[in-house]
Amino acid sequence: MTATLPRTAAGPAGRRQASGMTADDVARIVLKIVKWLLIAAAIVVSLFPFYWMMRTALTPQSVSVASGNSLIPHSIDFSSFSRAWRGAHLTKTLTNGLIVTGSILILQLITCIPAAYVFAKVKFRGRGLLFGLVLACLLVPSQATMIPTFIGINIFHMADSYSGLIVPFFTSAFGIFLLRQQMLSIPDALLDAAKTDGLGPLRTLVRVVIPMSTPGIAAFALFSVFTHWNDYLWPLLIARSPDLATPPLGLAKFQSADIGFDYQALAAGAAIITAPILLLFVFAQRRFVQGMGGGEVAG
Amino acid sequence: MAVLDPPVPAQRRTEPPPDPSPPPKARQPRQIAPYLFMAPAMLGILLFVVIPAVLSFLGSFFSIPLAPGADWHFVGLDNYQSIFQDPVVRKAVRNTVVYCVITIVPSLAIGLFLALLAENLGRANAWVRTALFLPMTANLVAMAVVFRYIFSYQGGLANQLLGYLGVAPLNWLNDTRYSLISVAIVGVWRGAAFTMLLFLAGLSTIPAAVHEAAASEGIRGWAKLRNITLPMMRPTLVFATVLSILTSVQVFDTINVMTPNGGPQNSTLTVMVETWQIGFSYFQLGRAAALSFLLLAVLIGIGLLRRGAFSADQR
Repeated sequence: MTATLPRTAAGPAGRRQASGMTADDVARIVLKIVKWLLIAAAIVVSLFPFYWMMRTALTPQSVSVASGNSLIPHSIDFSSFSRAWRGAHLTKTLTNGLIVTGSILILQLITCIPAAYVFAKVKFRGRGLLFGLVLACLLVPSQATMIPTFIGINIFHMADSYSGLIVPFFTSAFGIFLLRQQMLSIPDALLDAAKTDGLGPLRTLVRVVIPMSTPGIAAFALFSVFTHWNDYLWPLLIARSPDLATPPLGLAKFQSADIGFDYQALAAGAAIITAPILLLFVFAQRRFVQGMGGGEVAG
Repeated sequence: MAVLDPPVPAQRRTEPPPDPSPPPKARQPRQIAPYLFMAPAMLGILLFVVIPAVLSFLGSFFSIPLAPGADWHFVGLDNYQSIFQDPVVRKAVRNTVVYCVITIVPSLAIGLFLALLAENLGRANAWVRTALFLPMTANLVAMAVVFRYIFSYQGGLANQLLGYLGVAPLNWLNDTRYSLISVAIVGVWRGAAFTMLLFLAGLSTIPAAVHEAAASEGIRGWAKLRNITLPMMRPTLVFATVLSILTSVQVFDTINVMTPNGGPQNSTLTVMVETWQIGFSYFQLGRAAALSFLLLAVLIGIGLLRRGAFSADQR
């Protein structure tokens, strides 16, 4: 697309036209090749750890250390996956991950969507002040509030329980912010029409606002899922008993318990807990980049 | 953007006037609705952000026992004093600053470079971007496990590559000289993916007219980058820098998994790891609160810098 633009602009440069290909053309082709080589190199670097994870997981345990690492394994062995499944208690940890991530997602959607809607589209007293508070909370990292929250969770006897893992994240300032940005683009006329049609606030939200902000909701849902599926610090604090471990915690515990350094099984475990998020992202990436990138820089 | 479609609703708006009575009546109860709508979210923010942030500050003046119900003990500035005098904390601060510099500078540079490369790729756009962004979605604990294997002294890929170059193997994670760098490499791998996404978004906000004008003036390559693209991306640059600082300052997962307990001779001990140790290994929650409040103050300061940079830009 862009290549055609300079050619018409550089009309006078057609001195060497006779040969069919000007020096400019050659330079452009070389530049293009270099550009694609660089992109290829960047992709290799960016994907290599994932590849290495799979390669390690599929290598038979006995071969690897002795004969060094070849880029492609000489023989393939799936047994590391079953060792990982047992070692990291994956049936339990994946279930826990699903319960915790799913509950947080549902709670965050229920709390953030209506709040985002009123901050974006309904005028009420104190709106500016309250939204200012939400924005200020964006600056506060969860780590800074970790200790008081931990003490509070202890006081209410929620440590070492699902509620301790879920409740502190039942809403998200970032979610409110992101969804509000999205909802600002809903035309006011449409909401006025809903009002004159006799729709109450709740039905306006469900029938008009939510259908019109699905890209933002999808982006935020993805963000929430992979933030909490990948979270390590908070579960490390709260989930004391092994039965409550979330996937990253289970893997980390598996690693520190693993005296013989069964890297193959560790890599297999890493692959299993990475796969769901990776697949989710690859399938939904277009929506995510749209909903996320646009809103964020605009703010 | 495709959502914006004004003509249709505008027509609908003109239709209903026949019955103007319902809206005024319905106005009264509607005033409560907005508060009900945001009440759960605001409650969550109050309980789990505002109050803890305040308590984190107040708690830093107390000696806090872990047992529920036990009394807090006012100690004034003792926590802060002991933190400022603690050589381990000082080391953690130094490590954090070093980690930030060696992570943020390369990831911003690489991210910008990648964004410029991946800006206009036509049909391959989506796939290239996805591939380059995947590090950001990776589970850090999983990746730390993989990188730990790559950096392992025996049988690790890093040393094998050094061997091809004729360099003696390094004890990446257990040598005080290299441990922080090893962890930072993971940070750059991930950080560059993140900054690339931000820069791509920033590049897309530059109007096509600017590109056309530059092309007709014959401004290309380096000159265009320096005089047109970068100045127009200033808000994005500031935003990406601030977000990179925020993530790097709080680094925890990779460090804790790759180099447990702060690494050899605390060479990878960062502020977050030290806060964790003080709070949950030694159970000195008051001291940990003081340290985490100091961290928060620094982060808010950085956040305000961003605001300042933005408002200066709007002028």
